Order: sequence, then C-alpha cells, then structure tokens
Amino acid sequence: MNELQRELFEKQLVSIAEGLEYPRTPDIAGSVMRRLRTSPSLTGRGGRRRAEPVEAGEGRSRFSRRLAWSLTIILILCSSLMLIPSARAAIIEFIQIGVVRIFGAEPTPVAPPNQEFPSTMTPVTATPGPTLPSLIALLEDLAGEMTLEEAQQAVDYPILLPTYPADLGQPDRLFVQEAEGRMAILVWLNPQAPEQVRMSLHLIPEGSWAIDKMKPMLVEETSVNAQRAIWTLGPYPVRLHNGDIDFRRLVEGHVLIWVDGDVTYRLETDLPLEEAIRIAESLQPPPNP
Amino acid sequence: MDEPTLIRHATDGDAAAWEPLVLAHQEAVFRLSYLLLGDPDDAEDVAQETFLRAWNHLKRFDPTRPLRPWLLSIASNLASNRRRSAGRYLAALTRAFRNEPLSTANVEEKSAQHMQANELWKAVRSLTMTDQQVVYLRYFMDLSVTETAEILQVAEGTVKSRLSRALERLRGIIQQDFPVLAERREEHEGRDA
Repeated sequence: MNELQRELFEKQLVSIAEGLEYPRTPDIAGSVMRRLRTSPSLTGRGGRRRAEPVEAGEGRSRFSRRLAWSLTIILILCSSLMLIPSARAAIIEFIQIGVVRIFGAEPTPVAPPNQEFPSTMTPVTATPGPTLPSLIALLEDLAGEMTLEEAQQAVDYPILLPTYPADLGQPDRLFVQEAEGRMAILVWLNPQAPEQVRMSLHLIPEGSWAIDKMKPMLVEETSVNAQRAIWTLGPYPVRLHNGDIDFRRLVEGHVLIWVDGDVTYRLETDLPLEEAIRIAESLQPPPNP
Repeated sequence: MDEPTLIRHATDGDAAAWEPLVLAHQEAVFRLSYLLLGDPDDAEDVAQETFLRAWNHLKRFDPTRPLRPWLLSIASNLASNRRRSAGRYLAALTRAFRNEPLSTANVEEKSAQHMQANELWKAVRSLTMTDQQVVYLRYFMDLSVTETAEILQVAEGTVKSRLSRALERLRGIIQQDFPVLAERREEHEGRDA
C-alpha cells in the first residue's frame, strides 16, 4: 500500500467507523459514586483502597440478573458433573493458596525437605525434566520489561529479592505485567549457560487473576516462614508483546507458592524443595542504591 | 473548576470532585470498552472498574496531564484482561443459554451506513488484540497518534509502525472476507484518484 492508498484507506475507515451505533452510555458516574459512598474501603484515606463488586441501583439489577443466570448454569453444569465420581472428587477437592487454586489434587502432608517421597507419592513427571535448550528465547516475547527501580515505582508493594544463594544478585530481567493487579516477574539467568533461565520469581498482588491449576502431577504442602506453602508443577499466564496471554513456565522444574501479606509469591526453580524454601525465606528489600 | 483542580481535590479524598470528572469521560471510556468487548454489560462493568481503579491510584497521577488518556489506558488494559477471563466466558455462556443475540447482530434492520460500520467492526475484531487497540483508538475514537501513544504507553513511532502493520492486515481481511467493504473501498479510491 503506497502513501496515497494508505491515506485514502484511513479516511475511509474513519468515515465508516463514524456510522457505528454505540449503545446509550449508562449512568456510570452514578454507579461509581454510589460504590464510593457505600464502600468505606474505597473512600478511606490511610489504607489501601480496593474496588468492591457492583452493588447498587441499575448496576445491582443487571448484576443480579446475570448472577442468577450464571448460578443457574453453574448449578446445571455442576449437577451433571457431580454424577461422575471423578469429576465430583475434582470439584470438591481443591487447594487455595493466595491467588492460586489447585483442583483435583490430594495434597501430601508436609514432608521434611530432605525426606524422600514414598514411591507411591512420586509421580513420574514430578522430577524436573531435562532443561529446554533455549528458554531464554521465551523471555523475548514477554511484555512489560523494565528496570528494578522502574518496577518498584510501577507496583504498590515492595519488590523483595532473595539474598540466598549469596551469588544470586539482582535479577537479570524484570517484567511488570497487568494481571488485574500489577504482577512482577523477576528472572535470573544461569551464569554458566546464559541462554537458560536459572530461576524466576513471580510477585502477584491480591485481586489478580485467580489461577486454577487442574490436576497437577505433584502437589505437596510445605511451609515458608512457618506459613503454609505449596510445592507443585505448572506454568503461569503471562502477557506477550502482542497482547495475548500465554501459559508459560520459565524454568523446567518445580514451583513453590506461598503468601506473605497481600502478595502471592511463586518461585520456579529446578532446585530441590529444601533449597527453594531457603531462597523463599531469604527475601529482603533490596539494598538502597 | 478546571480539570487539574478537580483532580487535585479528588486526590485529597474529595469524592464529590471525582463525579464531574467521571461524567466528562464516561462516554469515551464506555465506548472504548464496548469496542474491545462487544457487549454493553461487560463494557459498563469495565468502565465502572476503570473509574474506581483510577480513584484508587490518583496519587500516582500527575494532575497537570490530561486525564482521558490515562483513563483510556486503564480501560484498555482491563478490557483486554476481561476478554480472556472466566467471567467473560461465563457471560458468553449465559447469553448462549438465553439465546439472546449480541446487540449488534441484527444488521438487516440497520441502515446501510450502520451495516457497513458493523461489518468494519467485525473485520477489525479478526485482528490481534494489539492491532485492535491501535485501530479503535486511532480510527474509531479518532484520537491523534500522540494521544494513542500515551494511552498505549509506547512511543509515537511504535504507534505508526503498529498502525501500518494493522492496516495491511485489515486490508487483507476486508478483501478476503468482507466484499461489501472492499467494493466501497475501490469506489472510494476511484473517486479520489
């Protein structure tokens, strides 16, 4: 398309787009102001203010109508699924930790880090697979790369860094992505093989995407700083440059998930559980520059 | 009171100062959300959420800058997330169960101009989310390249290159799948040549 053709095409687009009929703009100001008045957490000045569900006026009736339909559908679907024993088990049994919900898994009890799994508890895929040849290429697709300083300005929670292992240092790559809350992804590369990711840490604020894992091959309850944590497997959604969401794991290994305050942490590593917990428990604010 | 003054009052916790700002920008926020989501109920939810999020984060906002690009940026991000969320899937499922068509489906009843606009909208919806965002902001919302860049938080040069690629793709889609629009384009080119 040459310059003239492009100009004509652009003019034509604007001209056609003008004809698009939009629905009448609803009274958004009224609904927003009602929500601000009725939710002290939104108008309170000292603490963190969070949005509440729609709850008043025309918003309520629309919401209620949709909710009623949604509940009816869910009820029908669940009733059907409940007739299937395996589905029934999967629906009833789930583990919630922070923003992550894991369905269809029986957690194994807390195991001392260096205790071996009984053979019946060790699924074939629980052992990390061979590291992919060039995981670093995956990073080039990720949106939202910035420096640590920029990232700390972009999120409203402190970005803590592991102080263990001592040689780890600051992350080599850092991404902040919008996930109904700003999620920080910290990536350390393998110094011996810089084309590979050594470890990644997701910091996911409260209210972000609730992520469901379905039937992971390994789910083990453990603890970080004496708080409940989960040791499992699986990818996590990330946003790509083209705006799409993709489920990715950056390290071909395990995932340790724990919660501290309003933030869910998710550490991907091919290290054993004992080491992952040491890293998790070593998180500290970065030293001042 | 002008916009920067209202923003400063709102930042200090004066909710009454927020209302005229919402009124001033609600249509633009709702329309962009509607374009991205295609459903007025979803668009209303996103628009409400946009103004609540903005209220929550006003302290981060520089009151000397225009508010609209920031609001449209929040709306665009929320709408993109919602397109892939379980909630949206549920809403689509609900519509399917109710057997209620989308509000834009009954194109026969609309005038030729509205029908063409809907056809164009359908064509744009075949593009990737990134392409759609830039096309909606530039040609449907009629914003400048500078405003579009501010909303998408990218450089103006990036907007231009994205537009260029998006237009090439859109032209291909129109030629292949939307013959009515393609005919109009050829007529237009003939007239202006």
